[in-house]
Amino acid sequence: MALLFLAPALLIMFAVNVYPVLYALWISLHRSDLRRPLSNPFVGLGNFVAVFSESYFVSSLLHTLQFTLLGVALVTAVGLASALILNEKFPLQPVAFAVFLIPWAVPSVVNGLMWKWIYDSQFGSLNGLLYSLGLIDAYQPMLGDPAKAMYLVINAFVWKEVPLAGLLFLTTLKSIPHELYEAAMVDGADALRRFRYITLPSLKPAFLLVLIYNTMQAIRAFDIIYVLTEGGPGDATGNLAWSAYQESFRHLNLGRGSALAYLIAMGTFVIAYWYLKALGREEKENA
Amino acid sequence: MRKRLTRVAFYAAVLAMGLYVTSPFLWLIISSFQTEREIVSVPPHWIPQKPTLENYQALFDPPKSDSDRAKLPEQGGFVPASARDLLPSMRNSLLTALVVASINVLFGTLAAYAFARFRFRGRQMLTYAILSLRIVPDVALVIPFFMLIRTAGLLDSPLALVLTYLGATLPFSVFILTGFLQTIPKELDEAAMVDGAGPWQTLWRIILPIASPGLIAAAVFSFMASWNEFLFALIFTETARSITLPVIVATFTSDFNISFSLMNAAGVLAVIPPVVLALFFRRYLVDGLTRGAVKG
Repeated sequence: MALLFLAPALLIMFAVNVYPVLYALWISLHRSDLRRPLSNPFVGLGNFVAVFSESYFVSSLLHTLQFTLLGVALVTAVGLASALILNEKFPLQPVAFAVFLIPWAVPSVVNGLMWKWIYDSQFGSLNGLLYSLGLIDAYQPMLGDPAKAMYLVINAFVWKEVPLAGLLFLTTLKSIPHELYEAAMVDGADALRRFRYITLPSLKPAFLLVLIYNTMQAIRAFDIIYVLTEGGPGDATGNLAWSAYQESFRHLNLGRGSALAYLIAMGTFVIAYWYLKALGREEKENA
Repeated sequence: MRKRLTRVAFYAAVLAMGLYVTSPFLWLIISSFQTEREIVSVPPHWIPQKPTLENYQALFDPPKSDSDRAKLPEQGGFVPASARDLLPSMRNSLLTALVVASINVLFGTLAAYAFARFRFRGRQMLTYAILSLRIVPDVALVIPFFMLIRTAGLLDSPLALVLTYLGATLPFSVFILTGFLQTIPKELDEAAMVDGAGPWQTLWRIILPIASPGLIAAAVFSFMASWNEFLFALIFTETARSITLPVIVATFTSDFNISFSLMNAAGVLAVIPPVVLALFFRRYLVDGLTRGAVKG
């Protein structure tokens, strides 16, 4: 009986999730070059070795790390701060909460477009704002400046991902029993200690979710880079996902593209596993 | 005095958060109502002096010839050729998202009911396996999908998008729907069974009406994910037959001849459906996430 209910969903997921993942592995282990479509010999780890020795590889890897570390840290910090604010009672709190969710619904392509316009070096509002405040004498190059580009892209990522993180923190905050805080106040614990010894430990499951989800999002970031910088200027914002796209659909070398994509997937697994280890196992028991 | 200071600091924090979240978004909307001439002001006009609907008009009724173009004095400059695919792309995006959402609700609910109610071997393992499917990034899936879709002759077909978007949405739908159904007391099923209802009838008559907030959440989540998706659409679509709105918006952003006012208007069109849905159904979405993710 159970099988009858499960069958449609499982069949679909096998066809569009499991099978493609295995097929991608097959592609990554064979020469799959669309310019030589009739010759697909098995090359073992040849595609992996080939991308390791490509000139773009180290910089893509470092950019992925930079994007992921900084992006996830900022999303977590801003998300937590927003959740703490929204957890208080104040006039218009429901309105603030609704507005807070907006970036989450914005398509990533539109998020890219929005920031591309804000960052524009000739007419952008970031330049306009800094200029009006007297912080700069003349409009500056923004996304065209290799020193700034990555930080600007990360900022755009953070803006879109903060609401979901905040929401996960907020729902967990609301589930903390009030008695804990009252008891701590009776014992004379100040606000800082109450935060350190009650709030933070109770938020552990939310931290785990936020960290894993945003690491997944950051390590595979593609849309935002496609729209904002196309990996440039030079290779200043090119990450592994961008390189995988380039190899696959601009150089038509699907084997190498799949090898890069598999590296991203494996990296995600390793980091998710590490979070689970580091933040304790209670999640597993609850799940 | 100290209390008042804390209060002021708190409201300053609220204001900072509000500005951080809203100002980029508001600026997108405001500048979509600016003329091509006004949008290049230095420093920018934060409030348009001559708000205009020209950008939207140009998108919905793009000039078909050079003489048409000359009639658009402010916009006059440039409306890209891809603008004529904008309306078809909105239709494609909408249809794809609706079909994907419907299939998610239908098959997702059936699977979730099995996970929430039946005990069978490997149930726990299967739940984890389904969740871990989403750890594989889209950029790893797009390559095998491309090969398969090309072989099946489905390039530039909306069907290709529906199938691949199911891969991106169904695991999550099953996950949140399971979380939802688990919170519905089993006694209700048992009472129905005692009255002689089979599992189908129990699901249809008893569970579904109670679980409707969960169904709405799953439908809205999968609609939004499909409407917003970019990478698959970029690779698998080409013409007005199947191209989606995010792909059109992305081609606008890489066209150096387009004014930002026109580009922003296209961005606003793409942003309206998901934002309206998210705000309107936010209680259901939050509830779905809470039951699925936080407690599950």
